[in-house]
Amino acid sequence: MQKTFTIAKRELTCLFYSPIGYLVLGLFGLGVSWLFFRSFGPGKAAWLRDTFDWLIWLLILLTPAISMRSISEELSSGTIEPLMTAPVSDLQVIMGKWLGAMGFFILLLTPVLILALVLEWTSNPDWGPIFTGLLGLVLVGGLYMAIGVFASSITENQIIAFIVTVFIICVLTLATYFLGRESSFPTGVRQALNYININARYENFSKGLIEIGSVVYLVSGITLFLFLAVKLLESKRWR
Amino acid sequence: MIDVQRLVKWYGPTKAVDDLTFHIPKGQIVGFLGPNGAGKSTTLRILTGYLPPTSGRATIDGHDVLTDSLNVRRKIGYMPESTPLYGEMRVEEYLHYRGKLYDMPRTLRNQRIDMLCDRCGLTKVRRRTIGHLSKGNRQRVGLAAALLHDPPVLILDEPTAGMDPNQIGHVRQFISELSGQHTIILSTHILPEVEKTADRVIIIAGGRIVAQGTPDELRKSVAGQGRVVLEVKAEPAAVNNVLRQVPGVNEVEARAVNGWCHAVVTPAAGKDVREPLATTLHRNNWIVRELRHETASLEQFFVQITDHQRVSAAPAAEREPEPTPV
Repeated sequence: MQKTFTIAKRELTCLFYSPIGYLVLGLFGLGVSWLFFRSFGPGKAAWLRDTFDWLIWLLILLTPAISMRSISEELSSGTIEPLMTAPVSDLQVIMGKWLGAMGFFILLLTPVLILALVLEWTSNPDWGPIFTGLLGLVLVGGLYMAIGVFASSITENQIIAFIVTVFIICVLTLATYFLGRESSFPTGVRQALNYININARYENFSKGLIEIGSVVYLVSGITLFLFLAVKLLESKRWR
Repeated sequence: MIDVQRLVKWYGPTKAVDDLTFHIPKGQIVGFLGPNGAGKSTTLRILTGYLPPTSGRATIDGHDVLTDSLNVRRKIGYMPESTPLYGEMRVEEYLHYRGKLYDMPRTLRNQRIDMLCDRCGLTKVRRRTIGHLSKGNRQRVGLAAALLHDPPVLILDEPTAGMDPNQIGHVRQFISELSGQHTIILSTHILPEVEKTADRVIIIAGGRIVAQGTPDELRKSVAGQGRVVLEVKAEPAAVNNVLRQVPGVNEVEARAVNGWCHAVVTPAAGKDVREPLATTLHRNNWIVRELRHETASLEQFFVQITDHQRVSAAPAAEREPEPTPV
């Protein structure tokens, strides 16, 4: 566990050694504020729901940009060799990478918390949906990061890792959304597609609902992709 | 300490390591020598558990590199070829990171890092970003990282590549000092490095061991024992005739160079012919301007043996049909 945190900490701090980390943080802060202030004013609802509903779309491009370097960079620079010949298990490597990316993602969400405080200061918001919305964002972000780490361990090319991640996420969001509305499909298939649709799942979180089904769905998705990433990394020892 | 038995590694259709067997006892420094592409790095990577062997077995301190990888990795310090490092980290920070991966407590880490920075000449660059270091300094960071947890086995893949002669000297001395408590296997294609530091040399070419032994043994097995080169004022034909009569002389090659006769005398195995040669030259009243004993260097041996390997490699491949890799 200690080693997992060591790897996670390195991952997180290294994002701040280059200007990219600060750039993403700054742009995201600006973007979130813009989304927020569009629906902020007298007579408007004191909630973050609109912001959350936009954010969930933003994650599709944002999280792969953070996760794409995690393993790919180690593969291309060769640093994977000293890492994999140190006494750390493949699970520790993957978990460390994922936790590091998640740490950065949670830092990214701090502007949202500040905006919630702005709401608190100017009116009387309902904190329930704000917290469930944030929880949902963390869970969905966690799933996207897990997909990202998995895609990153396929290739040493960060661009390919990015594209693969976006592709998988689009299958889970856009494709299921449009195919789920396709009336020529049998109802069972459409129901299944709607079940998989991550954005539909997120709607409940932004409304203020914590559905056990959704939590289980997202957590098992995270587990699945992290497991696949570990297996991919492990397979490199067998080639 | 390191035991390798019938190790074979296929990369797709190419055989990188071909039936390698050797044993390295505790405390020995072994130089792993061979031309580029001989299979040195592949063998070392198998020993560290980074690559699996296609067949065969390798154990380090009794732990199998394939089935007991974590225990093997605790015992070894590995410096990969071209020393990949995180360019964005600072030297000290990187060493602490590595130390944590080996479960070293903070006080021990501080102590070892201070000691190693001092020994590897990194004190001045401790707080510098690794990406801004020179190649030689990066190599030293890699070496310090490999030594950090004081491993009983050190595996160094071309540790002095990219260093200046001065730095090479320091590293060579440092490695020599480590012998005894550490078992070291270091690969290189630079001979003098091995001649001076290694207790034993294993020369591989085309994935096979072509020679092994102490540097002295190898030097001795180089064709003959060396030769005597001399330059005298005389006719080459006369020199040739006279010197052939000297007892112990096997062969003489004499030719005229700028009015002098340059002769190369090959003695019979195990004979030192310098004294009888000098007496003969004196008796003939020839003016001598040079008389020197030339010992064969490992370099010559290396060139000889790897060249030979390259020539004999082709028919060897034809002889045994290559099995299809799985």
